[in-house]
Amino acid sequence: MRRYGIVGAIALAVVVGQAGLAAAQTISFADAVTTLAKECGADIKKHCAGVNLGNNQIQQCLEKNQAAVSPTCTSTLATVTASIQQRLAAQASVMQVCSTDAHQHCKGVVGEYNILGCLLKTVRIDSGKCNQAITDAGWR
Amino acid sequence: MSVIRNLGYGAALAMLLATTTANAQDLSETQLVNTLGQVSNEGAPIDVALLVQEVTENVGQGVANLPNWSRLAGMPQLTVEINFENNSIAIEPSSYRAVGQIADALHHPILSKNKFLVVGHTNATGDPKHNLKLSDERANAIVEALSTTFAIPASHLVGIGVGSELPVDPADPKAPVNRRVQLINIGKAN
Repeated sequence: MRRYGIVGAIALAVVVGQAGLAAAQTISFADAVTTLAKECGADIKKHCAGVNLGNNQIQQCLEKNQAAVSPTCTSTLATVTASIQQRLAAQASVMQVCSTDAHQHCKGVVGEYNILGCLLKTVRIDSGKCNQAITDAGWR
Repeated sequence: MSVIRNLGYGAALAMLLATTTANAQDLSETQLVNTLGQVSNEGAPIDVALLVQEVTENVGQGVANLPNWSRLAGMPQLTVEINFENNSIAIEPSSYRAVGQIADALHHPILSKNKFLVVGHTNATGDPKHNLKLSDERANAIVEALSTTFAIPASHLVGIGVGSELPVDPADPKAPVNRRVQLINIGKAN
């Protein structure tokens, strides 16, 4: 019983944590990796010389050297990785989240770029979730 | 930065007609996107194999006047400064932001259907053949970062090195300003 209590508490914390993430403003890729460079730059130079940003190599190197890497860097790495994924997910969802709005307010408009341009003009009558999706995608 | 953001989308569209070359370090995302977004559909598509052929056959002699390389000058592009560790393809953490800025721009709906050349340049210090090889590997390291960490479709990016064969300052080919990365919009991705 007590064990379930703990599991339940963890599950609740995870759910609350995710809700917190979903509600949080996403940040640009540039800002995400700027934070990475700021908090992990010294560790990268020290432990990951010659290792590149692509293909998760920096992430793997920092994880491999976690014992020597600063705790701030370790937590920053997780946050930055999550930020990039959130922004990617937000961008991938815009057209779907906004499909009703696009259908109602942007009849005959063709192409993602043109539809986005239309939705930006109709911001006052777009649904809250569509507006939020565009903001989270970083396209406002 | 905030002034530029406040210009909004309408002004951003108008900027599609602005200059074709810019330095990414000085630009907001809106400007980046719009500078790169002026696609010209004139002429045959850029053939990357021909670019590679021209530069490998002319190491030490420059490529500015060669038929395929000279075509790139008229295409929408940005010059970006990205620093690498010495004699390595590892991007310096101080330059992660520049790579992230490119990723932000390339994910924007204006540009997300386009194909880009990532051209690596060195200055003229050292052996031209080595410079060509290193610049090619570095260009491809940037492509790898963009296509994995930032999920830009790999088919939308082509990395190519030109070594010290296309200095931005031909009067002073050894000048550090010649070490740079060009991001060139070569039209619709297939």
